Amino acid sequence: MNGIDILNGLQETALGVIEAVLPLAIFFLIFQVLWLKLPRDYVTGILKGTFLAACGLLLFLQGVHISFLPFGRIIGEAFGNIGHKWLLGPFGFVLGFFTTWGEPAVRVLAEQVEEASTGSIRKTAVLVAICLGVGFIVGLGMFRIVYEIPLLYILIPAYALVIVIMWFSDEEFLSIAVDAGGVATGPMANTFLLALALGMASSMEGRDPIVHGLGMVALIAVAPVISVIALGLVFKTKMEGGANE
Amino acid sequence: MLRLMRDKFFEVLQSVMPLILTICILQFTFVKAPAELFIQMAIGSVFVIVGLVLFFTGIDIGLLPMGRFIGAQLPMKGSLIFIAAVSFIIGFATTAAEPDVLVLSSQIDGITNGTVTRATVLYSIAIGVGLFVAAAMLRILLGFSIAYMLTAAYVLVIVLSFLAPPSFVPFAYDGGSVSTGALTAPVVIALALGLSSVLARRSAVSDGFGLLGFASVGPIIVILILGMIFY
Repeated sequence: MNGIDILNGLQETALGVIEAVLPLAIFFLIFQVLWLKLPRDYVTGILKGTFLAACGLLLFLQGVHISFLPFGRIIGEAFGNIGHKWLLGPFGFVLGFFTTWGEPAVRVLAEQVEEASTGSIRKTAVLVAICLGVGFIVGLGMFRIVYEIPLLYILIPAYALVIVIMWFSDEEFLSIAVDAGGVATGPMANTFLLALALGMASSMEGRDPIVHGLGMVALIAVAPVISVIALGLVFKTKMEGGANE
Repeated sequence: MLRLMRDKFFEVLQSVMPLILTICILQFTFVKAPAELFIQMAIGSVFVIVGLVLFFTGIDIGLLPMGRFIGAQLPMKGSLIFIAAVSFIIGFATTAAEPDVLVLSSQIDGITNGTVTRATVLYSIAIGVGLFVAAAMLRILLGFSIAYMLTAAYVLVIVLSFLAPPSFVPFAYDGGSVSTGALTAPVVIALALGLSSVLARRSAVSDGFGLLGFASVGPIIVILILGMIFY
């Protein structure tokens, strides 16, 4: 480690944000000119907001890059050298849960669900369900690295489980669940939890970081789908229970 | 706007403090990283908090209305082909520009020693996402259940996992996360909600969500198929 370096990788991050925001802005402007024809105030508001979001994202990504990314690796390496391997399950759960708790897109999704369902599906319920799903799978992912379980042994049953339980779920929760899987693999999980897995795999003998470290993200993508469908099933039984009384 | 930012500030604190505190506890109990690194982590956390306040404020006043207006306008322009084409372009353009996709493309270029070039991977993934977004959009308009599409897609993923060369499989599953960047996600969610709000046919929830997540199955299938073609 060579001291404090808060500008590390800033250029790449900035380039990434610009590349992501430009197509959206151009697309909106084309739409505005050809079809939308919104009043000028709206357009300035939207562009101002988009600019603000891009600046915020840049600062956020840079912050993650210099804080959570290196710390994920260091914590992972410390985990790899820990004596009691069973501890990694609960540790993984806590880190997975709180990382997702701070994932920006997960919050946007939960808020939009509450709004679209006019409050009948609460934001906190969706948020907690997604975090529980990720926490559980990160704990399992830790054991996967320790005991060298092949990725597909977890992924295939997980996808098969989704295919089965979705037929018992109602439409609303199924739609939310699919999106939950998409937003859970955001910038926080992709850096911190991935670095955690890679750090752990690299500090344990005989583990290939590529084979054992990667795959954490794949697990995080499928877990919330299951937990949100499960939330829906709990909701449904409660409603039916209430109706029978 | 300042009021909005103040509200967002408390929300952001509530959202990131648990992780920061957990990291601090781990640091002082048994990780014990060098002090400089810990200071760097503290500075980074301030960046994260300020950045997220700006980001969430910008989403509320910029990206969500943008998505809603476009989504609400789409069905008025009539034809299904027009809507499918626009959806395809949104999926394609935002994915091709996503930094994560570039990283993944270089990794695959690497493991195949250049047989599958970066450009091939990049454009295949972008086309995959574009097609899946278009399919998901048509589902909302035609009003059939997401369960059928999802079952078909997931069964395909499972079957292809056994047929594709094993070295491709981990990359393929990781590819599922690349189509959902932090900026794209709010726009796509809002777009689908805007679309479903003018259809007013079924529940806003079952029509309005699922688009984003379904789009992320696209890259998994595309990369597995690429592996089968080139190996």
